[in-house]
Amino acid sequence: MGLTQDLGRRVELVPIDSQGGDITLALYRQDRDGMPHYRVHTYSRREAAPVRVAFVAGAMGVLGDCEIAGPLLRFPCGAAHLLAARRLFLESSKLASSAAPVRQPLEIFDKKSAGTVVVTALGAGLYQVTGADPARVESIALGLRKLAELDAVRGRSDQAAFPCRTAHDALMGLLLGRALNVRSALREEEMTASRGVLAAPSAQK
Amino acid sequence: MTPAPPIPSMTPRQRVLAALGRRPVDRTPVANPTSIATVELMDLADAPFPDANRKPELMARLAATGYTELGFDSIMPVFTIIQESSALGCKIQWEQKDNWPTVRMHEPIFREPEDIRVPENWMEHPDTECVLEAIRILRREFGGEVAIIGKTMGPWSLCYHCFGVEPFLLMSLDDPEKTRQCLENLKEMTVAFGIAQAEAGADAVTLPDHATGDLVSAEYYGRYLKDLHKEFAERIPIPIILHICGRTVDRMPYIAETGMAAFHYDSKNDPAESMAVVNGRIGLVGNINNPETLFARTPEDVRREVYKNLDAGVNLIAPECAIPLQTSIENLKEIPLAVQDWHREHPRAPVDGETATGQEGGNVRAR
Repeated sequence: MGLTQDLGRRVELVPIDSQGGDITLALYRQDRDGMPHYRVHTYSRREAAPVRVAFVAGAMGVLGDCEIAGPLLRFPCGAAHLLAARRLFLESSKLASSAAPVRQPLEIFDKKSAGTVVVTALGAGLYQVTGADPARVESIALGLRKLAELDAVRGRSDQAAFPCRTAHDALMGLLLGRALNVRSALREEEMTASRGVLAAPSAQK
Repeated sequence: MTPAPPIPSMTPRQRVLAALGRRPVDRTPVANPTSIATVELMDLADAPFPDANRKPELMARLAATGYTELGFDSIMPVFTIIQESSALGCKIQWEQKDNWPTVRMHEPIFREPEDIRVPENWMEHPDTECVLEAIRILRREFGGEVAIIGKTMGPWSLCYHCFGVEPFLLMSLDDPEKTRQCLENLKEMTVAFGIAQAEAGADAVTLPDHATGDLVSAEYYGRYLKDLHKEFAERIPIPIILHICGRTVDRMPYIAETGMAAFHYDSKNDPAESMAVVNGRIGLVGNINNPETLFARTPEDVRREVYKNLDAGVNLIAPECAIPLQTSIENLKEIPLAVQDWHREHPRAPVDGETATGQEGGNVRAR
């Protein structure tokens, strides 16, 4: 009998978890009672693997303020927030299992504008970015929208809103760090994804 | 018209071998002439790259998951295309778990045909011996239940590895005689490794020879490779599955004349058009798209491509080439599920102008 399981749809993969003995970690999406849930999983049967999976799931709970029920995680709002969940998983799997995951604040120092950038919750899932450099503020707000599929707000390039219209402060704190340099975050994702795809002889070096 | 008699239920091995011989099958087999290893399966089998390419027990264990976990009708343990080149002395970049070992083709080992030196004991090299031992292990473990497919590289591909892609292609333009000499000098490796794998227990071999559409023309295939491939079909005593990536429909008329059992074809070729071109003279295996469908899309998209191949009468269903190592298990498992469902929906699928009778799971004549 096979050992693979029906875990739902795989939405993200960390092929080599350098913090977890190079096992592969995956994030699966399962819909239960019409509500999207996520599950961190590995097929590794090494002794330390379940501990690592539990750590990453726990870190996602803290960093994204997710509810945890057994092996499943979900956002309290009940929405999928697929891109945000993937980002949350990728960031959580970068932490060493010995680290204590800490919720990220809604402000960060931005090297490019040499000043602090602050994100303020305006209620109903709406957030506003403020900082000294209007161009950077606009770029960071755009980055947040890209990273987590947030809605644009008409006439306000410094704002972004979660489509569920619910506050997600923890998630916003996590995303803010990456929104400072979205291009690098996306490039990193693309590079990881392109590994292991066999190139035609004409494309090989 | 008298309906064809029902085909009794077959084992996966019987099914694959019958399809490669273009004989009647109980359902279209799902085979993999190239790798279906993924990083998740490496974890499950505790057989990660690069070790799974160099240690026979790991190679066999990882390959077996194609059958035990994914439900394919074949097991193919030769994940890469570098084993013979390593034995020849090419430099290999072994990479990590999440990437393919590759030949460092920018550091060629030969410049002229007379440089070609095939070490006398090259089949005892750890990287070639690993393949033979993995096949022996699989044959012992799975007996006659599942088809075991080996791999022996064609001389055109070996020339890319040994001379570098660009220098070899330039040679083929400038000096056809030298080019032929290179192919002649390396062809015995192809034959010997194919025979050795048959003796180790392989039921069939894949023979990649990358005369791909983006690099060489159909006329080149006819000029340099058709006769060589005919010779391989005559000398290697088990069915050969020729593998060439890319758009190849223009050279399929030549390929169909080689006497090989099947052609593993790429998704750049339309299944119905390809079937029409080969016209029953060679089987087709394929051609589920890798980088887009299997890697990045959903099981529903995979199913659509499987159905498209089955509707066209393709003989064996398979991914088009070695799948990306990050491919999801649910997409791979969808291939055999889709084949079974298609046969349930088409219990009397017409084949070669005949109508087959249906039993549970669907019965078809040779496809």
